[in-house]
Amino acid sequence: MNMHAAPQRTPAETALIDAFGERLSLLPGDGDVMLKRDNAIEQIKAGLPTRRIEAWHYTDLRRLLTTVQTYDGTAIAEPMTPLVADATAISLLNGASSAKLPKVDGLDIRRLKDMLEDGSFSAALGARESDDAVGALNTAFVADGYLLDIADGAALAAPVEVQNLHAGGQAHVRLPVRVGKGAKATIIERQSGSAPALVSSISHLTLGDDAELTWLIVQDQPEGSSHFGQFNAELGKNSKLTLFVMNAGGKLVRQEINVKAAGEGASFTLRGVNLLAGDTHTDVTMVLDHAVPETTSTEIIRNVVTGRARGVFQGRINVAKYAQKTDAKMACNTLLLSDEGEFSTKPELEIFADDVQCGHGATVTEIDHNHLFYLMARGIDEKAARGLLVKAFVAEVIEDLEDEALVEALEAMLDGWFAAHG
Amino acid sequence: MPAVQDTIDRVRKIDVDQYKYGFETLIEMDKAPKGLNEDIIRFISAKKDEPEWMLEWRLEAFRRWLTLEEPTWARVDYPKIDFQDIHYYAAPTSTPGPTSLDEVDPELLKVYEKLGIPLREQEILAGVQKPANDDADPDEVNDNAAPRRVAVDAVFDSVSVVTTFKKELAEAGVIFCSISEAIREHPELVKKYLGTVVPTTDNYYATLNSAVFTDGSFVFVPKGVRCPMELSTYFRINEKNTGQFERTLIICEEGAYVSYLEGCTAPQRDENQLHAAVVELVALDDAEIKYSTVQNWYPGDAEGKGGIYNFVTKRGDCRGDRSKISWTQVETGSAITWKYPSCILRGDDSRGEFYSIAVSNGHQQIDSGTKMIHLGKNTSSRIISKGIAAGFSQNTYRGQVSANRKATNARNFTQCDSLLIGEECGAHTVPYIEAKNSTAQFEHEATTSKISDDQKFYVMQRGIPEEEAIALIVNGFVKDVIQQLPMEFAVEAQKLIGISLEGSVG
Repeated sequence: MNMHAAPQRTPAETALIDAFGERLSLLPGDGDVMLKRDNAIEQIKAGLPTRRIEAWHYTDLRRLLTTVQTYDGTAIAEPMTPLVADATAISLLNGASSAKLPKVDGLDIRRLKDMLEDGSFSAALGARESDDAVGALNTAFVADGYLLDIADGAALAAPVEVQNLHAGGQAHVRLPVRVGKGAKATIIERQSGSAPALVSSISHLTLGDDAELTWLIVQDQPEGSSHFGQFNAELGKNSKLTLFVMNAGGKLVRQEINVKAAGEGASFTLRGVNLLAGDTHTDVTMVLDHAVPETTSTEIIRNVVTGRARGVFQGRINVAKYAQKTDAKMACNTLLLSDEGEFSTKPELEIFADDVQCGHGATVTEIDHNHLFYLMARGIDEKAARGLLVKAFVAEVIEDLEDEALVEALEAMLDGWFAAHG
Repeated sequence: MPAVQDTIDRVRKIDVDQYKYGFETLIEMDKAPKGLNEDIIRFISAKKDEPEWMLEWRLEAFRRWLTLEEPTWARVDYPKIDFQDIHYYAAPTSTPGPTSLDEVDPELLKVYEKLGIPLREQEILAGVQKPANDDADPDEVNDNAAPRRVAVDAVFDSVSVVTTFKKELAEAGVIFCSISEAIREHPELVKKYLGTVVPTTDNYYATLNSAVFTDGSFVFVPKGVRCPMELSTYFRINEKNTGQFERTLIICEEGAYVSYLEGCTAPQRDENQLHAAVVELVALDDAEIKYSTVQNWYPGDAEGKGGIYNFVTKRGDCRGDRSKISWTQVETGSAITWKYPSCILRGDDSRGEFYSIAVSNGHQQIDSGTKMIHLGKNTSSRIISKGIAAGFSQNTYRGQVSANRKATNARNFTQCDSLLIGEECGAHTVPYIEAKNSTAQFEHEATTSKISDDQKFYVMQRGIPEEEAIALIVNGFVKDVIQQLPMEFAVEAQKLIGISLEGSVG
């Protein structure tokens, strides 16, 4: 974003810079942490990315970010019922961690605020690249979060649910997670709130050798909210990561996924569901690096677009030189249900190794009339028939999650969304 | 994929060191001084005997160009071009038209001979003026020359040397001449269509081309006429330190049809040469234009030294209802290719097609693809792209498919496949798919994969030996595109690509 310096600051840019000035003295950490924050705000001063920045081609942040909610110290969110009943829930309420933390064998939880204050987290702060606006925004304002450490060999019986909730204003959190060698766990990341807000949330996952992890991101921000999420992961040898992302809310949503298959035999599965209604602009951008030989990945993204919603999926698969025997497949399927809806896809392959199997497919279409006819010929009315087909289209991806309780909970959310927007 | 030895050998055969057309011809040339300014543009315009409006058009483009920045978004890497270090005009010194083959500059003759253009055609190409009552019967020319007639416009550096079969084409109502001639002879047509598909403001290189273009071909096929023969332009860069900026304009009126071929070569040189062309196609109601290219500019040597920078803007406008434009390209040459032949599907029920084979070797860089812009109702498009990367080359497919809000029932099918030979090359796919209409139906598929054992097994269990089975599958890899080429070009393209098609059935 430095390349095309903004000629004049937008109200949102000005609001962010002003907010930084006001919040500065209250943000945890000094020294290196403060230096990182300064650099980050400089990046924002240089201008938010426009569509001329390739990573933001379909999400012109400078134009789209029109409202920056004011930080509100009095708004405090209430914890919500976990997605699955037996989950270990920890919450971040309006960007602040809780002192009361559950005790779980094999799981160590620390408050990020402490690590920002004592400077031990400073090395991990900062933006990834000059075009990483989410990283810059978060680095400037991050005040808290949790560090989760799952011990080597531990197998957590119940999912850990991290709730990032707000009641308006702003919330900026980080979630570093280390999963030890051979450990097994499920992490659920909830991103929600009760009033319009500006939220940024960045997670860093280090998955040890032979570890297996399922991670769910469930985002249903209220109308009028801007949500900036970033999920970064590095996969060790023979590790297995299943990432599930569901976007079902917010006005301006950007969910970035950066995964590096860094150990041989690592495998990555991404399943995504974007339910887009109203005037939302939702962008899911994934960059997947196959850095070493013999790694595999499959990604399936299903989008349902209604109303005046605009959806974006950018997915890039990089195969490094000598990363032979890479097997990578990506599909992005979109159902465009309204005349005013839009969907843009950019599935990219960047391949520098010759013995690989890589492919991507992308489709955009309306409901198949033959399918509709099939159901209606059996006495189902059109609305119900459409509903069934759209649900089946999305549910197929959810059902790839093997955990029945999770599938049920997500399908219940799906039904809720269809009831409200279908 | 690890390619079979046979394929590797054949690709190696067309490796950059094997470039056949790298010879240089010493011929007396008339050149403009190096550099680019308004005076040079006036010089070019004067040389071409152009009317005032054309000069103004050029100057306006030039002034615009001065305000533009070179695009950097393509996946190509090259040192900055010094636009002041180029001759923008170079033409063979004109002598009074020779009347027989013996009088033609033997060097110019040799060029065509080496390029493999048949003798009879060669006579015409070298600008031999036929005595008035000579057997000018077009049918006879046809019988003696080749089984199929192809009218040729030969462009040597900055000028069109000659255009063949003009008379017979004129009888059918088809205008086929150099663009310079068209500006003089048919200003009303040029004025009406030039710059309407690729405006002077379009992009850096198109704007530059608008300012300094020196020649190119002009085709006009009137209402209801099916052009009686294939039209072809042969581009040759010969002179040192020159840039070639050609401009082609093809117009097909209601219900007309034309098939147009383009070929190009250049001598082997250590320095890079710039080729920035603009091609505009206009198809009115029910018209069809088929445009085929075999691009074989000098690609540079094995170390990546020299070669042509091929920065081309090609765009077709399906202006009329039920019109059709089809691009077929075989890209094997050039150090750098930056080229996106596109279709604007404006008319209802119009159709755009793009078939491409891009072979890169040595240190070549290709960033090519297409744009299909669906604006009208019931428009459809089809994209088939096959990339083969070898050596140290980088081969990128970059394409865009978009459906406007009013483009109901837009349909697109895209398939891009890549084949990698060796560990030092790269193949990339960057498609942009944008749907703003719920009735649009877009399908995009891309693969980079090795020949699967299943495929091989399937063929082999039918009694076909392994080598042949592999050849058969590789054949299938490029077949979709080869099939789209006119017959003469298909043969040339197959030779050029050198991928084994032997042993395949049929």
